[in-house]
Amino acid sequence: MRAWWPSLRPMLIALGIALAIGAALMLISGSNPLQAYGQIIVGSLGPNGWAATLSLAIPVIGCALAVSLPLRAGLINLGGEGQLVGGGITAVVVGTYFADLPFPLSLILAIGAAALVGAVIGFVPAIMENKLGVPLLISSLLLSYPIVAVTSFLVRFVLLDKGTGLPQTETLPAAFQMPQFGKVTGALFVLIVIIAVVIVIDRMLPAGFEIRMTGLNRKFSGYSGVAVSRMTLWVMAAGGMIAGVTGALVVTAFPFRFVDGALITPAYVWTGLLAAMLARANPVGAVVAAVFFSALQVGGAAMERETFVPRELSSILQAVIIIVLAGAIALNARKKQKVA
Amino acid sequence: MTRPLNGGVTAGRPQSAAPGATTVEMRGISKWYSNGVMANDHVDLVLNPGEIHALVGENGAGKSTLMSILCGLEEPTDGEIRLDGQTVSFSSPVSASEAGIGMVHQEFKLFPSLTVAENVAFRAEPTRLGMFLSRREARERVRELADRYRLGVDPNAKVGQLSVGMLQRVEILKALHRDAQVLILDEPTAVLTPQEVDDLFAVLRELRDAGRTIVVVTHKLREVMAFSDRITVLRDGRSIATLTTSETNPAEVAHHMTGRDVDLDGRYNAGSPAGVALRVDGLFVQNELGVMVVSDANFSVRHGEIVGIAGVAGSGQTELIESIAGLGGHSSGVVELDGTDIHQLSAAERRRKGIAYIPEDRRGVGSAVTASVSDNLAMGFHRRAPLRKGWRLDRAAMKRHSADIIEAFGIRVSHAKVEAGTLSGGNLQKVIVGREMSHDSAVLLVDQPTRGVDIGAIENIHGRLRAYRDRGHAIVLTSAELSELFALADRILVMYGGRVVAEYPRADATEAKIGLAMAGITQQTLTGSEETT
Repeated sequence: MRAWWPSLRPMLIALGIALAIGAALMLISGSNPLQAYGQIIVGSLGPNGWAATLSLAIPVIGCALAVSLPLRAGLINLGGEGQLVGGGITAVVVGTYFADLPFPLSLILAIGAAALVGAVIGFVPAIMENKLGVPLLISSLLLSYPIVAVTSFLVRFVLLDKGTGLPQTETLPAAFQMPQFGKVTGALFVLIVIIAVVIVIDRMLPAGFEIRMTGLNRKFSGYSGVAVSRMTLWVMAAGGMIAGVTGALVVTAFPFRFVDGALITPAYVWTGLLAAMLARANPVGAVVAAVFFSALQVGGAAMERETFVPRELSSILQAVIIIVLAGAIALNARKKQKVA
Repeated sequence: MTRPLNGGVTAGRPQSAAPGATTVEMRGISKWYSNGVMANDHVDLVLNPGEIHALVGENGAGKSTLMSILCGLEEPTDGEIRLDGQTVSFSSPVSASEAGIGMVHQEFKLFPSLTVAENVAFRAEPTRLGMFLSRREARERVRELADRYRLGVDPNAKVGQLSVGMLQRVEILKALHRDAQVLILDEPTAVLTPQEVDDLFAVLRELRDAGRTIVVVTHKLREVMAFSDRITVLRDGRSIATLTTSETNPAEVAHHMTGRDVDLDGRYNAGSPAGVALRVDGLFVQNELGVMVVSDANFSVRHGEIVGIAGVAGSGQTELIESIAGLGGHSSGVVELDGTDIHQLSAAERRRKGIAYIPEDRRGVGSAVTASVSDNLAMGFHRRAPLRKGWRLDRAAMKRHSADIIEAFGIRVSHAKVEAGTLSGGNLQKVIVGREMSHDSAVLLVDQPTRGVDIGAIENIHGRLRAYRDRGHAIVLTSAELSELFALADRILVMYGGRVVAEYPRADATEAKIGLAMAGITQQTLTGSEETT
């Protein structure tokens, strides 16, 4: 408790500052801040809100972890969109062409194939950096564009559900639909397994220790015997794999099909990236931040519905909270370094 | 809080002083930081015109803080600065510079793509008609200053092409161009070869004789004794003593610095070498640019023996050692550890087989400064027992491991979770030495083990290296300090231009012989046999 309180305190202060700025904005525009904030909390965590928060949080957490694992080694994985979409379309392809598979096997195969494809998409930019010297930051980002475009083509022309007139695939067979347990989707359990694996790697495995040390000082890591360029490959592949599985989790949930753009428009990848960056690659912190941002988005939408706060103000409020938080975290890290 | 003046200090301006020469008094200077650290505690420092004043003390003694205050980088919490009896306060380096105080920092702040004259004139450019830069005037002024103080710097040379020693002179020129009467040099010899050090002192004497005041911040006792007129010793933020160099001796200064008696050189004692531990045969190393940095290295090191490698910086010592450790550029040749060839093995495999390595750059390579001391102590040995248990790291074992090393190597740290970067240079070096010695590796490679380290820590590290050798390990040691090689090595190799050009047993080695070989002059070259460079 003592250990994390000093790092938590500035964040709470930052949150308070952000809320005060938001309140001031709302007072200026003639809304009631108390009512608005109440709606954010009720809307995101209340009896009618938590399920929506959860269903948004699942892909955001997945994307956050897909960034945080490579970020631990000092690598920025900007290829989340390609990996997410690649995983999603792979799961749909498996569901379409192996439609007769029985229940647990069907999902295992779909998710497994999505993991593999995501891993390959993560792997390619790492190879390009190691062998050709193309910066990972650029190649991982640019690789997403052709993948998203090819997927879009597949959805609109090859796998199109002609009946609906919308750019979406046909509904997946029942065996490929993630089972529900009351209001909780089975995807949550898959995600919990991923979270657990990432935490175990990070905290307990020698490899996780090497990843962390590489992130802190690459030269030190190489000097100590770590093959840093080989680690780049594996860590990027692992990040891509997590994003790929996340894509599969999205398409196997309601509406059980790949809707073109549905993985891109909600900006799961960028919210996740933000969460991982704010948590400075700490996986637990990334999950917490991802849940927080998801709740903020869902609550913000609820606030729009229930109060007279305009839509733009909700976005401004979210942005203010994120910027102040980011500032507080950066300041905190700098202060720590200075005292050190 | 002001203390009374020592009588005679302000009156004692020597006859040789040039007009404008300045007496500096720092009285009762204190500096607290907001985190409670008291960096300076009522420090007194008096600088007379026309003297070279050495400011000495161990790392963390408060030297840098005191000089930062004098050159306007930091403001004192308490105390006052007087120039020729006038109380002054500097709000920034610019105001200190206007008052005639200039500083040459350890890291040079120069533009590599500009000429010497352009660098020197930057932010103090001579102008024509009040607005146009006058390059010619800048060039001439730099040439005139360089000639007057025999700096030997060409105003038209591109700074990027100059040696480190020359860069330092450009920095000195910058201060002189701004008419600095008081010149502060922070650890000026850390980056210089022995010859460059001598040249620097000649320049400093020249400046002193012209009536300027020189302050040299250092912890190298040998140099302090050689060049300074007076010495002020700081310890734990306090001024302990001000001594006249001609009336003191290194032992007394060291005593003031550490607060105890220090065995300065650590007598060399011979090892008792046994069988060959490391054999290097026909080793060639190319760096990333394809340049051959080590050519045809042949030597062996026995168990219980320290082999020292001398050479001016950049002669291939570091690359040779890196290559033996399995790092660095492409290499060919034979590297045998206890009779088995390890040349094809990776750095990790060589570590496992028994090669430990203390690199020169302790912050950039030898440690992760933002990781904890405990993590730094585990890294590199974390994949073997006892730190690894089955598939996972054993946190409890890591804790014991770091506690053991901290205790055994006398690392001063409040807790193993502290960030390694907070440690002083000597303390951090103990972390690295402790880690690399803690696994009984047959061969220990050591590159510049005491560069920038306190005297107390040097004594400690030297003692450990001897003890490690005496337990039957083989050590390869490079050092820029010949005295260090003489204090430790049982045999001395000399490298020049990537080749091992000479080898002397300890008994035959003299500074003169090694100095010549470091310059590439050996028996072979004297008799005219071919020497490729």
